[in-house]
Amino acid sequence: MRRPQFLAMLAGSALTGCSRLATSLDDNAPFHRLLQSPEKLDLAILGAGQPLAREYPDRDISADFRQNGFDLPSSPEYSRWSANGWRGYRLFVSGLVESPKSYDLAALRQKFRTRRQTTRHDCVEGWSVIGKWTGARLADVLADCRPTPQAHYVVFHCLDDDGSGTLYYESLDMRQAAHPQTLLAYELNDRPIPLKNGAPVRLKVPTQLGYKSAKYVARLELVADLGGANGMGGYWEDRGYEWFAGI
Amino acid sequence: MNRVYRYPLSVRITHWLSALCLGVLAMSGMQIFNAHPALYASNTSNFSHPVLAMHGEADHGGGPLGYVKIGKHRINTTGALGWGPDGMGQQAERGFPSWATIPGPQDLADGRRWHIFFAWLFALCALIYARWAFALWPSAKDIRAVPAALKEHLVPWRILPTAEANPLQKLSYFIVVFAITPLVIVSGLALAPSVDAWAPWLPALLGGRQFARIWHFAGMLALMAFFVGHIAMVALTGMINNLRSMITGWYGLKETS
Repeated sequence: MRRPQFLAMLAGSALTGCSRLATSLDDNAPFHRLLQSPEKLDLAILGAGQPLAREYPDRDISADFRQNGFDLPSSPEYSRWSANGWRGYRLFVSGLVESPKSYDLAALRQKFRTRRQTTRHDCVEGWSVIGKWTGARLADVLADCRPTPQAHYVVFHCLDDDGSGTLYYESLDMRQAAHPQTLLAYELNDRPIPLKNGAPVRLKVPTQLGYKSAKYVARLELVADLGGANGMGGYWEDRGYEWFAGI
Repeated sequence: MNRVYRYPLSVRITHWLSALCLGVLAMSGMQIFNAHPALYASNTSNFSHPVLAMHGEADHGGGPLGYVKIGKHRINTTGALGWGPDGMGQQAERGFPSWATIPGPQDLADGRRWHIFFAWLFALCALIYARWAFALWPSAKDIRAVPAALKEHLVPWRILPTAEANPLQKLSYFIVVFAITPLVIVSGLALAPSVDAWAPWLPALLGGRQFARIWHFAGMLALMAFFVGHIAMVALTGMINNLRSMITGWYGLKETS
């Protein structure tokens, strides 16, 4: 064998060895916990304040707001609502609140001050698009239902499922929920949110990766803790992704 | 034998730890890249006009095809980039092949865990290492000596060990520690939406978030190029003496291998 070929083979097998070793380490539970340890530090540093995500002029809006995630919700109600201009759809707020309520789209529009933001959406896969969102501040909606002092997280229950019946869900802590740019959006680029982008109501959290911004939101539940019956706090979190999606 | 104590313990430890970190960061970075193997020279993704993209097709005129698209040019890379081993015994559409990524099979969630953990470790090492590396600041004398050193490096196996690092060594280490490393760290930070909320000027400085991905990727390639040159020089200029010096700290001034 010639020298360059031998060196290439050596380098190739060294890489393969590294990748195999790392793959088996990845399955080791204590090591995996070690790998997950920076998340708390990241949250402590980056989640310490409420800085605003940059807002862009309209000319920066992406021509197409890329669709990602699951197919449209498959329930017959969803098809009926979408065919009837969302008549029948209500957003429920339940759990640790003093006054559980529900809102139809008109109530969300009229009851709460309208907020607009043109922000960048960064997908965990790596791509970015810019969209203009209109909706109510999550903080305003929550204040209307008066969370109890025990409420530490908001869980967002969604209508879309992964094809095997598992529904999408997400969660925020009360600080993230109180961020002025955290919206319950009902419009994208001055029009009702298209079906593919999460109609009729989706969450928008511009300071974190896209998977936090749950689509097709049906119910907000205020809870004391995540874990247990509440999972790891999200569909993707249950599959190994960070709960703090700021990085 | 004449010898000189060249590398203090903190430098030796951070040198090897940084080497480990860079290996893991490159391989887990390629895992992350594979989730959307395309780069865009702007703030957002102009999906139809990537600067660089990797694609694969299972059946392209009778067989699989993998290619890298750079601008309008296509380079056939079947079996390595765009189409290659998926880490589970099959071939599939993939940016980088499974033998180059951590973990091997497609796994964005765990690739990110590896990347962020080792990014912290690397940043810590780089800080400690940089304190020592200030001594590498090239002097006017070093710059003047570059042409002679270049000539000398044409036949690297004849280079004699000297007490002080030669000007080319100093210059290349200096560039790695004070230009490329800060670039990969800063461009990596600019990819995080919560970091961007704290410092909106950061991605803007780099041409936007997607452009920051290009800087991050290019920095990785530059570090790999350095790695190849570094290993070659270590091997050609007295491998035993070089390796021993980075383990024990003592560098022999006479050819001992």
